[in-house]
Amino acid sequence: MSKLLGAALGILTAIGGFLDIGDLVTSSVVGSRFGLSLAWATVLGVIGICLFAQMSGRVAAVSGRATFEIVRERLGPRVGGANLVASFAINLLTLTAEVGGIALSLQLASSVDHRLWVPVALVAVWLVLWRVKFQVLENVAGLLGLCLVVLAVAVFLLGPDWGDLAHQALAPVVPSSEGTAQYLYYAVALFGAAMTPYEVFFFSSGAVEEGWTPRDLAQSRVNVLVGFPLGGLLSLSIAALGAIVLLPQGIQTNALSQVALPVAEAGGKLALVVLILGMVAATFGAALETGLSSGYTLAQYFGWSWGKKRRPAQAARFHLTMMISLLVGAGILMTGVDPVKVTEFSVVFSAVALPLTYVPILLVANDPEYMGDKVNGRLTNLLGSLMLVVVVVAAVAAIPLMIVTGAGG
Amino acid sequence: MTGDERPLGALVDARLHLLSRQVLDDDDVPVTTADDLELATADGRDLPLTGDDEVVVTAILTGPSLLTRVFGGRAPRSHDSAVPWRDVAALTTVVNLAVTWESLDVTWPERWVRNRVVGRIPGGRHDPR
Repeated sequence: MSKLLGAALGILTAIGGFLDIGDLVTSSVVGSRFGLSLAWATVLGVIGICLFAQMSGRVAAVSGRATFEIVRERLGPRVGGANLVASFAINLLTLTAEVGGIALSLQLASSVDHRLWVPVALVAVWLVLWRVKFQVLENVAGLLGLCLVVLAVAVFLLGPDWGDLAHQALAPVVPSSEGTAQYLYYAVALFGAAMTPYEVFFFSSGAVEEGWTPRDLAQSRVNVLVGFPLGGLLSLSIAALGAIVLLPQGIQTNALSQVALPVAEAGGKLALVVLILGMVAATFGAALETGLSSGYTLAQYFGWSWGKKRRPAQAARFHLTMMISLLVGAGILMTGVDPVKVTEFSVVFSAVALPLTYVPILLVANDPEYMGDKVNGRLTNLLGSLMLVVVVVAAVAAIPLMIVTGAGG
Repeated sequence: MTGDERPLGALVDARLHLLSRQVLDDDDVPVTTADDLELATADGRDLPLTGDDEVVVTAILTGPSLLTRVFGGRAPRSHDSAVPWRDVAALTTVVNLAVTWESLDVTWPERWVRNRVVGRIPGGRHDPR
């Protein structure tokens, strides 16, 4: 019974923890401009994150080594160091976006300017990182994030023309009002939002924190393979809501109110309250994950003591890194930059950085010294290699597309 | 950990199996990464080496050695921050030490941050709840 409960909890937190500010913003912008015609990019991203999150978790469970230790060992101090600089910077950008997301969600609930909420969010995130146990922070944020199921409910309440939605998703064409470059730019953004590298840093380090052994792998596989696709479905629901309500009327506003508008139309105030609660939980959870990832990446590269399983004083530099990262992130937000813009940049730069993380994981997952007889099977390697091709194409295309379209135009 | 400890006398490629590996203390607390190695001849003779000299690893270097590994060049010997090789207990996919991390000179930055910053913030020395 308790095993079944544990399994259910794992799946539920995977669903609730899947969405972050990057998915919320990108999917809503895409929904209102392209309808469901970019659904394939989200699906591709979900397949990719399932594959590589699972792989990094398996490496962590079998060898006890988290992702950035492996990056350092495989790429050496120089290339690994360049990788660290890029990954840390992008993770910092994502952390900034997530803290901004908490503030924007609270602004939506209170009409108080988001900059006043930033210090509140900062202190709350830090307190949780400082004092709360890993398992608790992971489960609570994930379960509250489940409120976002209201997104899927809202799609049903609106009673859309399902045939039309399916046609948009399955026979995608670039809408006449948009250019091909814009279409491709947002495809890369959706892919980057789904596959953000911090998820793998967090997932593999979390496996070490929780002391996974090969026996936990079946459970983690179910969590990932059931939870992430259902989370991806919520991401598609946001795009669908945009396609149903906003696209026909040509409405484009601030991205988070753009999520809220159709939900309010479908389910009234109650649905809106549930949505905002879900958005606060999802962005808060992701802020915790990115905050931890800033500590994980740096500590693992340099070989410092790290982890929430230790007291802060037993992982001093790890905690100091997280504090400074949070302060820098909040500082960026206090300059008055638009958190939505920060988010858009963070997902595109994530796409650029994807190969830096995923290539070393694929290499080590095939190394018998680390994995013994648990190395990748042929199918996983085939899928992993194919996905890597997509990852590299997206990474190479991201910056040129950003320049051509003026960041989405 | 996969596999057993490498048997005594097994062939270890320093570049592949030592450099950039995680170093753990006797309680599996991460200490540092093996940034570089200090080598010496077995009979203590100085450079130049001949083909007959037996070279042994005398210490795992860290700190400033990372900078020279990344940017090249040589740091003065007085700047070396080293874990003596006699403290090494086992080699697997990590380097296991036989001593506790607090007894090592190389962990001074960690101890400094703990004593001056993190340990002074309320709750810093308590288990997370």
